[in-house]
Amino acid sequence: MVLAFTIAAVLWSLIGMAAGVYAAAELVWPALNLDFAPLTFGRLRTVHTNAVLFGFAVSALMGTSFYTVQRTCHIRIFAPNLAWTVFFAWQLIVIAGAVSLFMGANAGKEYAELEWPIDIAITVVWVIYGVVFFGTIAIRRIEQIYISNWFFGAFILVVAMLHIVNSLAIPVSAFKSYSLYAGAQDAIVQWWYGHNAVGFLLTGGFLGMMYYFLPKQSERPIWSYRLSVLSFWAFAYSYIWAGPHHLHFSAIPEWVQTLAMVMSLILLAPSWATMINGIMTVSTARQKLREDPGLKLIVLSLAFYGLAMFEGPMMAIRSVNIISHFTEWTIGHVHSGALGWNALITFGCFYFMVPRLVGQPLWSVRLANIHFWLALAGVMLYVLSMWGAGITQGVLWLSLDELGQVRYGFNEILAALQPYYLLRLLGGSAFFVGAILMSINLFMTISGQRTVTVAPPTTSMRSPAPAAGTP
Amino acid sequence: MVLIRPQASFVALSEAHFSALHVFVRLALWLGMMPPLCAYVGMTKHGWQLGTVEPLMLPKVTIGVICALYFFALLFGFISAAIIGRWMAGTYGATRDLGAHFALLVVVGAPLVLGSLMHLYPDVFLNLLVLVPCLIWSMFLLYRGLPIVLQTTPEQGMLMASSMIGYLFVAFVSLLGISVCLWVYGIGPRLGV
Repeated sequence: MVLAFTIAAVLWSLIGMAAGVYAAAELVWPALNLDFAPLTFGRLRTVHTNAVLFGFAVSALMGTSFYTVQRTCHIRIFAPNLAWTVFFAWQLIVIAGAVSLFMGANAGKEYAELEWPIDIAITVVWVIYGVVFFGTIAIRRIEQIYISNWFFGAFILVVAMLHIVNSLAIPVSAFKSYSLYAGAQDAIVQWWYGHNAVGFLLTGGFLGMMYYFLPKQSERPIWSYRLSVLSFWAFAYSYIWAGPHHLHFSAIPEWVQTLAMVMSLILLAPSWATMINGIMTVSTARQKLREDPGLKLIVLSLAFYGLAMFEGPMMAIRSVNIISHFTEWTIGHVHSGALGWNALITFGCFYFMVPRLVGQPLWSVRLANIHFWLALAGVMLYVLSMWGAGITQGVLWLSLDELGQVRYGFNEILAALQPYYLLRLLGGSAFFVGAILMSINLFMTISGQRTVTVAPPTTSMRSPAPAAGTP
Repeated sequence: MVLIRPQASFVALSEAHFSALHVFVRLALWLGMMPPLCAYVGMTKHGWQLGTVEPLMLPKVTIGVICALYFFALLFGFISAAIIGRWMAGTYGATRDLGAHFALLVVVGAPLVLGSLMHLYPDVFLNLLVLVPCLIWSMFLLYRGLPIVLQTTPEQGMLMASSMIGYLFVAFVSLLGISVCLWVYGIGPRLGV
């Protein structure tokens, strides 16, 4: 089942990235939409974000959370049939979502575009996912609940809460609904959802992944288990307030904006505590770093995590946000997190997990090393081009002439951005090629093999935990 | 020499002993002046070329202030990176000699200083095109040179170089953020904010 989730995540990453690369190419050569509605940028972009978020990231998190919870609780998964139900139902949901978005059905909320029938299905499947995960924790043989499970647990609970509250809507037909909230309230609810989806799915869930796979791969206990617990609670408390920084200078109360800005700055502390914990954990694993391409990807992902978690709070400062908001800088920031942090740590975990799942060494370490350099070059090119484009865009939009009039027209600014879009396309393509190489590598490793079944260690019920920090 | 034969230069650097003050006064200070000077000449002569027909021209006083701040930001980045490197050295088994850290950063920064000649024509996209390969070159020098100059194992050096890159990323993003804040508060182009 974990292997099934892994294969699904890899396939969705390829589909999502292909859609992203094509959408990026459309920004350079708009005629690529072929005057065919499903291929227009507006539809393709949502297919890209939904495929990578819900297809790739969530499938990867479901797979790794089931893998981690069994190993850290020393017990087989609770209700395996329900876990398989989650797998098949979730894949159907993502497929239905992609098809509906291609058809033009869209709820009009960013990262929550899917219409109400799919939203209801998501809720049902998510509850089953929660039952399987927390059910496994309830029957655990180890007294202590390992830190990864706290992060995965928070991810499951908070995403359920966000999804249900933000998706409340009044249906008017099978494929159209309108939000229950109006005006500024709708915007606040939407960005409470949007920002915490980033927080608890793309950060919290993946930190759960990091805290299991990094110590395992480097064969070292966590540098400071106490720091991991402290940063978990600080993270859970401070993230939830930061959403309205997406709405600076809009029609929401100024104190809400200020609160969001301050909480975003506070968020830096737990984020960096986690990064330092990760880096210090791996700092003595010299030999492993030489042998293990997956570990290199995880170490690099931590650097990008640190960058994105610094850049985010900085962009939440209103004096910076006034220039950066609505520009490509935001796109660059998102991708330094999504490609540099989320994708790289997932790829690193897959390089560790897949050979163990099938009891075979990785098909090609050399190919994995090539993947590492392609991913690094791709994400760097992507982020740098978007920084250049964002700053250019922000300055040109706001520039005034001697009479105090807007100096540059929309068309002129758009034309000025085209070279950056080309550079971004190159960066995204390099990253995509790296992902294709990884897929070939993993499929060749899996090919012809059966999954290995490992019996849980024979510990007595509720036995004391292993040494702190050892998963 | 270091740009043509980096390996031999790194070995020579590791064998020599430089005082931090010597490296700073004789090299870093002068190299650090080059990017702001080029930017000053380029901006006064051509204005900011942002890909539009009409360049963005700024008053000479504003350009002077921006370039002076650019110089101080570079110096701050240089000194703070060396101090951070010295702090990290304890974790990664590297030398804590500040002179060696200064010397390494001068070498690593050399391609970027060379690339900053492009500031003489401040077209943002062309600068990006030139500086991205220079940045990759600098990163290559950091990974290759750090274990030799700071006398640690290649694996520890790889980890320390990655940590240094993390810090330098953050320093660069901070520079972007500070620049933007200065523009908003009136030092820079005339913006409707």
